[in-house]
Amino acid sequence: MNATVEIRSLKATTRARIIAGKVFVYLVMACMVVVCLFPIVWIILSSFKTNAEVFKGAFFPGQVNLDAYKYALNMAPIMRFFVNSVFISVTAMLINVTAVSMGAYAFSRGVFKGKETLFTIIMAAMVLPSTAVIQPVYMQLRTLGMLDTKAGLILVYCCFGMPVGLMLLRTFFSSIPLETEESAAIDGASFVMTFVRISVPMAKPGIATVMVLRFLEYWNEFTYALVLTTSVNNRTMPLSLAYFVSSFSFNYPAMFAAITLSVLPALVIFALFSRQVVNSMVAGAVKG
Amino acid sequence: MHKEKLKWCLVFLVPVVVMFCFLYAVPLVKVIYTSFFDYKLTVKGMQFSGFKNYVELFTQDSVFRVALKNTIVWILLHTFLHVALGVFLALVLNRKPRGWQFVRTVYMSPNIIAASAMALIWRIIYNPDWGIVNGFLKAIGLGSLAQNWLFGVNTAFGAVTVIWFIYAGYTTTLVLARLLSIPSDLQEAAFIDGCTPIQVDFRILLPIAKDTITTTMIMAASYMLTMFPLIYMTTGGGPGNKTYNLSLFLYQKAMIENNYGYANAVGVVVIIMGMVCMNLIKWMMGERGDRQT
Repeated sequence: MNATVEIRSLKATTRARIIAGKVFVYLVMACMVVVCLFPIVWIILSSFKTNAEVFKGAFFPGQVNLDAYKYALNMAPIMRFFVNSVFISVTAMLINVTAVSMGAYAFSRGVFKGKETLFTIIMAAMVLPSTAVIQPVYMQLRTLGMLDTKAGLILVYCCFGMPVGLMLLRTFFSSIPLETEESAAIDGASFVMTFVRISVPMAKPGIATVMVLRFLEYWNEFTYALVLTTSVNNRTMPLSLAYFVSSFSFNYPAMFAAITLSVLPALVIFALFSRQVVNSMVAGAVKG
Repeated sequence: MHKEKLKWCLVFLVPVVVMFCFLYAVPLVKVIYTSFFDYKLTVKGMQFSGFKNYVELFTQDSVFRVALKNTIVWILLHTFLHVALGVFLALVLNRKPRGWQFVRTVYMSPNIIAASAMALIWRIIYNPDWGIVNGFLKAIGLGSLAQNWLFGVNTAFGAVTVIWFIYAGYTTTLVLARLLSIPSDLQEAAFIDGCTPIQVDFRILLPIAKDTITTTMIMAASYMLTMFPLIYMTTGGGPGNKTYNLSLFLYQKAMIENNYGYANAVGVVVIIMGMVCMNLIKWMMGERGDRQT
């Protein structure tokens, strides 16, 4: 490479400075890695300890001990919370992405009066802080008789992040050449058929981005779950952690086990699809 | 054919318009409207009260004042210190040291974990008896400094604030993505002209990435404005009301005290603060509202 040749021709002091710079760079990187990974690694390791080991403050468990997991799974219906979370976030995500795709397609292909005005108004909703409207949303669900139901939570969740998704997918649909769709229409395909068979498959990367963003948001959501549900039957995973503090106050490893179980799925998904997740987050960052 | 298409377009718009009304438009109107009423769960009906809720908020409610002050301080810390840290890390990773992609993934990971889980983890880290912070202090012979971080009157605010620093990876990821999209011949040309790497960072890369930095600042501000789980699950606003923020205060008024009109006045304050923050940041970063979307 060019650069290495250049470096060799530089003076010794400059070379020392470059090395110092490199050391600095790696030091900064290492510090942040430790700060980010340490808490979670510590929790996972601690979930294999005994209560006595936790109190002693040992970093590594003496031996791998699965009692905490057995205890945690007996104490609280963690599997049910887990299934609730999966059901609620996946359903809400599917409804959201379907509605948003349809809307974005209409905004991209439709020609009607007031289209841009309507789009601008919907986009303005992006800046509405979600916690500010929690009381009216609560009352609306109460009127519908959907407080403390999974359906109610799904109904609220599926609306979250709608403006961002609409904007992302509108751009995607608009980048599909019109000719492809027109030729399908000439072949006799209806509007809906063209949308399902031609446009949606071509906008797949955009749709995947929206799905990843929404799934992570719904999976981790806490505030609305706290306000809109009360019973154990409808409790989601993040919310259940709020109740662990009191119920596990005598068995800390069990609490660590519960945290590990709640955190692991998201981490595994992230480890497997980190590139996709990172790209989605970059694409979704269009606030303001 | 054309009419058919128009008809279907309008049908396709129905779901998003319904969603928009359900979670955004109608609640927004209701929040603003009811904030001018005496509106409680315990009292039947609503009584128009003009600006009474607002006057009470700003002149009599000392908890609100603490919450407002804390929210503003946290927003400022987040939009400046935090974004600066994130941008700094992005510039470091942009030098593409060995393993930078792995490190980027690691920085991002705290943002993937549920905030409530993170809050619980930090509660454990700060545990006065066997938490890792006090354990570390004792190990290096500073045991006298060990204390109940989250519930001490003097340390609670700082302890909560520190938690948020692990979220800097989000800014790093966004800014790094922008930096990587800058064509490298630009930097090479600058190097040939005798620029040092740091000059390239500050004179060339950062000005180009300015719009992304603006976006991350706005996101950081709105994140702090709506921050709830991390406070609710660590200190719960305590000790006393030292770590209250507006979201927690609103939750307290609306869901615990069922004082709806009053809570919605707080909601209006939050909405206005959001708009002010966004426009201030845009104005400060030299964007004059000409960039829609």
